[in-house]
Amino acid sequence: MSDLDPLRRLQPDHIEPDDPADPAVFARAKEQLMSTIDETHADVWRETPDVYPRLAYRDELAAVEYLSRVFGFVEQREARLEFDGKYLCWLRSGTGMVMVTHANVDVHRIHSPLDAGLTTAIFHVYVHDVDAHYANAVAQGATITMDLRDAFYGDRVYEATDPEGHRWHFGERFDDIRARGGPEPVTE
Amino acid sequence: MIAASGHRPAEFGAIFDRHATVVHRYVVRRLGPSEAESITGEVFRIAFERRASFDPARSRDGARPWLYGIATNLVAKQRRTEIRRVHAVARLAARRGTPLDLADDVAAEVDAEQRWRVVADALSRLPQAELDVLVLHVWEQLDDEDIATSLGIPTGTVRSRRHRARRHLHELIDVIASKEKP
Repeated sequence: MSDLDPLRRLQPDHIEPDDPADPAVFARAKEQLMSTIDETHADVWRETPDVYPRLAYRDELAAVEYLSRVFGFVEQREARLEFDGKYLCWLRSGTGMVMVTHANVDVHRIHSPLDAGLTTAIFHVYVHDVDAHYANAVAQGATITMDLRDAFYGDRVYEATDPEGHRWHFGERFDDIRARGGPEPVTE
Repeated sequence: MIAASGHRPAEFGAIFDRHATVVHRYVVRRLGPSEAESITGEVFRIAFERRASFDPARSRDGARPWLYGIATNLVAKQRRTEIRRVHAVARLAARRGTPLDLADDVAAEVDAEQRWRVVADALSRLPQAELDVLVLHVWEQLDDEDIATSLGIPTGTVRSRRHRARRHLHELIDVIASKEKP
């Protein structure tokens, strides 16, 4: 054995699989830091949702770039974790949050739809002004798999499929459209 | 980036974004999650106060080794917490059946829980400066040059301290294990 083998094996995250700290830890620490050193600092994320879906990608950093540019997600950059060149990122939209991770068949056994050949979930995201959201997604080259429409259940909604096959619904409630003075919805 | 932040505090946020999770993980490993949040915040507050002393030319990996050094100083003030942590993790390792190969004459006579306790006791008795170098080397995988930047000592000193620490750990394990024999 190597002299340092006992110490290597005693690394806590080798004994038990490592789950990341709640991103709120980093949001709080950053807020305290920034309020100490910069009185103009304002952009602090205060939501703590109770559900965080974790999505797997072959290329998780490309996914973060895509989801941000095309769908308007905002990465909580201070919470990004790096493990041996792989990443776990936290992306927020409104009051919600998704985790984007490297597809890892060994530990958590979650796959990119590219490898699985199918997807088993749809992520439904409410946004402000779904028409503008749709226009931006189209302009950025999104793959639209269901066109924007007024659905009978009271949402104006479209579906896009991201480069690795995860499906996203972006919608806005009729009441919220009326509240912002948007066009009156038309259902069949 | 740090140089630019000297006059613009808002840009120091980018340093936090880039390194906070690494610093946090390091402190979790050494002291545990309940200490890690406040110490992580403290590391960056101190880093901001001392930003004028940071020399980008000495570091290939930006601010990271420098932040490791600040964190290591703060961890060193909590030696008792670290000793408790090491023993708790050693108990966990024994429960999880984490394999541990010690010298044959030791291994033959004591069970897994005792063997892991021997390792924890040995680490607890290692001089702080030697433990710091070993942990930065083995857990954080810093090379000697980055450890030298972190601790503000010459690279040659890191190398000799690392070898001495390694020998000490080995000897401590042997000495403590021989007392454990029934």
